[in-house]
Amino acid sequence: MTIELLSANHAAAMAATLAGRANRGARGFGGGVYPITPQTECIEFLCKQEFEKGRIVRVESEHSAMAVCMGFALGGARSFTASSSNGLAYMTENVFAAAMYRLPIVMMAVNRTLGPPWNIWVDHGDTLALRDSGWLQFYCEDNQEVLDTILLAYRLAEDRRVHLPVMVCQDAFVLSHTMMQTDVPSQALVDQFLPPLDLPHRLRDTPVTVGGLDFPHETEVHRIQHEQAMRRVPAVYGEVAREFESVFGRKPAAPIVPYRADDAELLLISMGTTASTVRAAVDRARERGVRVGSVRLRMFRPFPSRELELALMHAQRIAILDRDISLGQGGILWTEARGAAPREALVQNYVLGLGGGDIRPEHILGIIDDLGRRVHAESPEIMEVAT
Amino acid sequence: MEIRLHGRGGQGGVTCAKILAAAYARLGRHVQTFGDYAGERSGAPVRAYTRVDDQPITNRNKVYRPDHVIVLDRHLLGRDVLDGLASGGILLINSGEEFGAFDAGLETYRVGLVDATKIARRHGIGTRSVVIVNTTIAGAFAKLDGIPLDVLEETYRKLGFSGNFAAAREAYESVRERPARFEPRERGAAPQTTRAAPVQALDEHFESPPTGLKTGAWSTQRPRYIEALAPCNAWCPAGNDVVGFVQALARDDLDGAARVLRSSTPLPGVCGRVCPAPCMEGCNRAEYDGAVDIRGLERWIADHNPAVALDHPALETPLRVAIVGGGPAGLAAAYTLSAAGHTAVIFERERELGGLLLTGIPNYRLPRQVLHREVASLLARGVEVRCGEVLTAQRLRDLEREYDALILATGLQKVQSLVVEGSNLRGVEDGLGFLRRVNLHGAVRLHGHVVVLGGGNSAMDCARAALRCGAERVTVAYRRTRAEMPAIPEEIEAAELEGVRLLALRAPVGFAGGERLTAVRLAEVDLGEPDATGRRRPIVSERTSELPCDFALLALGQSADRALLPADWELCDGHVRREGQSLRVFAAGDFATGDGTVAHAVGSGRRAAGRVMRAFDVDARVFERPQRELAVASSEIRFDHYERAERALERCAPLPTRTRGFDEVNLGLDSSREARRCFSCGHCTRCDTCLVYCPEGVVRRTDHGYELDTTFCKGCGICVHECPRKGMEMTTL
Repeated sequence: MTIELLSANHAAAMAATLAGRANRGARGFGGGVYPITPQTECIEFLCKQEFEKGRIVRVESEHSAMAVCMGFALGGARSFTASSSNGLAYMTENVFAAAMYRLPIVMMAVNRTLGPPWNIWVDHGDTLALRDSGWLQFYCEDNQEVLDTILLAYRLAEDRRVHLPVMVCQDAFVLSHTMMQTDVPSQALVDQFLPPLDLPHRLRDTPVTVGGLDFPHETEVHRIQHEQAMRRVPAVYGEVAREFESVFGRKPAAPIVPYRADDAELLLISMGTTASTVRAAVDRARERGVRVGSVRLRMFRPFPSRELELALMHAQRIAILDRDISLGQGGILWTEARGAAPREALVQNYVLGLGGGDIRPEHILGIIDDLGRRVHAESPEIMEVAT
Repeated sequence: MEIRLHGRGGQGGVTCAKILAAAYARLGRHVQTFGDYAGERSGAPVRAYTRVDDQPITNRNKVYRPDHVIVLDRHLLGRDVLDGLASGGILLINSGEEFGAFDAGLETYRVGLVDATKIARRHGIGTRSVVIVNTTIAGAFAKLDGIPLDVLEETYRKLGFSGNFAAAREAYESVRERPARFEPRERGAAPQTTRAAPVQALDEHFESPPTGLKTGAWSTQRPRYIEALAPCNAWCPAGNDVVGFVQALARDDLDGAARVLRSSTPLPGVCGRVCPAPCMEGCNRAEYDGAVDIRGLERWIADHNPAVALDHPALETPLRVAIVGGGPAGLAAAYTLSAAGHTAVIFERERELGGLLLTGIPNYRLPRQVLHREVASLLARGVEVRCGEVLTAQRLRDLEREYDALILATGLQKVQSLVVEGSNLRGVEDGLGFLRRVNLHGAVRLHGHVVVLGGGNSAMDCARAALRCGAERVTVAYRRTRAEMPAIPEEIEAAELEGVRLLALRAPVGFAGGERLTAVRLAEVDLGEPDATGRRRPIVSERTSELPCDFALLALGQSADRALLPADWELCDGHVRREGQSLRVFAAGDFATGDGTVAHAVGSGRRAAGRVMRAFDVDARVFERPQRELAVASSEIRFDHYERAERALERCAPLPTRTRGFDEVNLGLDSSREARRCFSCGHCTRCDTCLVYCPEGVVRRTDHGYELDTTFCKGCGICVHECPRKGMEMTTL
């Protein structure tokens, strides 16, 4: 393993390259790619790599990029693409199709605000709009986690109990363009962790029709199968994570990451890099004697309801921090997570950092103060943090 | 530790922050580095950040309270740059100024100054249009914060910036520092958490706000609309505005082209035929799909517009200038003087004007009527001529007294003789003498095998003329290789095509025969070390052989005959002095320079005329030879903007009939279309590329070309980069 100074875009591309090469003994590797800020550096890097078996195909749109990935995957190849924001919006039809075909595609998505008006900075609205697409979704906190999660994602996606595509999400610029020291594993270790892909439903010599017509009952069966696969993910994740640790000597983060939460009366739930800023604020509030903790949600699909319930069990006041908004409702994380809170707890939603607003520890300290003072929860609080 | 960089898009702030992060990582620290990204690109104020810590870094905000600040553009220095900067922190500024040049209030910082722009420019760091300072200024910061030079060097190597390390080292060594007067003070205020203010309803603000952002204030560099020296103009020895007449022709303006061409030369029809065309050697199109046939176009103008009217100023007291020698230099001097309103009187030894053009160049290459036409047009401008007089030294003294000034343009009169055994034999003749007989007295009868000794244009003229005079076989023997022959390559090719045989690496060491020549004795030549001209020095060996022949023509070169000057006249830098005193006597053409081509002679004659006029009138124009190194280089031309097009071919007389007489062989171009291949290097053609490519829409057309709205030009350099022909350049503000 070597430590390199990498942006998360390059970390993602390196992970995909290593995973792709690991399948050289089987059906190889490929993907369709189309650039969009802030993902472009990732696919530029990927396009410069050489693969013994397979290739990266530059196409004319995101919709085609996913179509090419589906082609590779149906042919039994390991497959990767990356996109962001309005690119994902354009890709959407095929995003759903990839999941319905049960193809083990991995996509790195850089979270960027949807336009117009155009905005290139982070919020989570673009991938959360795809929460119902049938893909697994992970939200990362640092560059190392982006690299590790992509490797994990292939094991999950290709596991016979799952066979679903995985979206690995990271915050625009805050991760995508920020360089940090990152541990890049050797090809030998990745080969050890990622066995050759043998997709049972891949196309073979006998022609078959994929994605034909489903009658109501067939659709019911397919949805049940899909949902059952989703429900098996947490257990499979546990197995895969243990194996990851034994190969790479590094323990990957769990679907839910608590921080100073055991004795906390106040708990803040967040995703992505917001959570690391929350940790810094928690430390500062603890110095002032506030019993506050943090819970980071790393896996959003399947939603880890049971794990979250356990983590929130003793909290009296809960702040759910959303870097997204479902207009007409409120934060999406809040909508999904509040059901896991104890019945008697006060749960308040704060929407902040939309459009890339720079969330700082001071903002979080303000939320902790506000949460501690509250008599009862109100409708979602939409904050301005922009600099 | 947190470092914040302030620069402008295009200066490379993010890379600078990355270099520093990589250097600290090499020192075993945890690092994080990132930039600000936005829609504004080149020229916009941008920031980049580097965090360094002994612990893993969790903080992912921008830097609001930096320990150190680096300013890539000094003009950004203001409150927001200093915002939150810790007392005692490093404030490194890219500037060549002194500490006193900066506002008071910086005393609490360790101010560092380094002229990174100057260093980077000297090391050639940047794009074709813009200097980039990032890799340079990082060196200065490394010095101030104690990053060892070897760590920095290794960092540059690892990042692939080794080529820029010399500049970084120079910045490391030249950064100046003023210590801080420590004074603890409040840093930037903590941010406030605000709830959304009441937002106006959509129908309350429907008017477009005025454009308040003067983006021109962001720029550090600015494009300038220029006219740059075209290589053809720089290369032309005659001083013609080549790109001027070719572009006029490209616009189908034959009259305009003729006016441009005839403003500098009286002999376009001659040069359009016999010039070795250095302009085509310099032509940037040569590196793309072949040089433009400039010589052919010059001839086209001369042949299709023989008489364009030029203005003659009427002077109250015109100068009377005597010109000795009616060759191209004398003709050009007379032309230049008469065009300025002065009177020129040409003294010519022969009965006709033309000099070597008349006696030395055969009709098949330069038809007599072309020379006559151009001489006649010169005489029509009032130039006086005295033919048939051979001047003595005493006569020169008289002329110097009688006239306001005297120009000596007698050419090369002394023939390089060959003192070897048998050089007096019948059948051995001086080549120029042979050509003179052919040109003035009609065909001379030769027979059998003719050997021409030499490799210049006269040698080729002798060889091809000999074929036309009845020689059955012609051999040219030259002491170096074919590649080193001074003759125009097309002439060598034409000679070979007509059947002339070339014998390289042979030097004549004697002639054999009784009463008449029967053979020339040739020694083999070896090539030694390169001499002053860069060509390998010929070393005549002992190995000799005899080549049987009937005639031998010596074309070994000529030199100026200085003996014709009065004894006390001293020629120095083209100017005659007597007893230390300057006379108004100037030398021109081959007599002065020995360059040996018509174009050189025309240019030299013109410059001599200019020196005469300047001697009487300090305001008179001086004709300088342009410096070739200032010309637009091919790397400055955007080939992508031009479609490939093969060079037009000149028409030629059919080969079998060529050597039967002295009719002209090259019949010229069949149209002036060739002019459209001209890149117009350094000369704007109003193609609108700058206007189309400008991302800000600040380029405007005017009557004289283009202008830029500096209020909004951000100095991105795209117009300069995209200009197909270097009609713009970047300047530093």
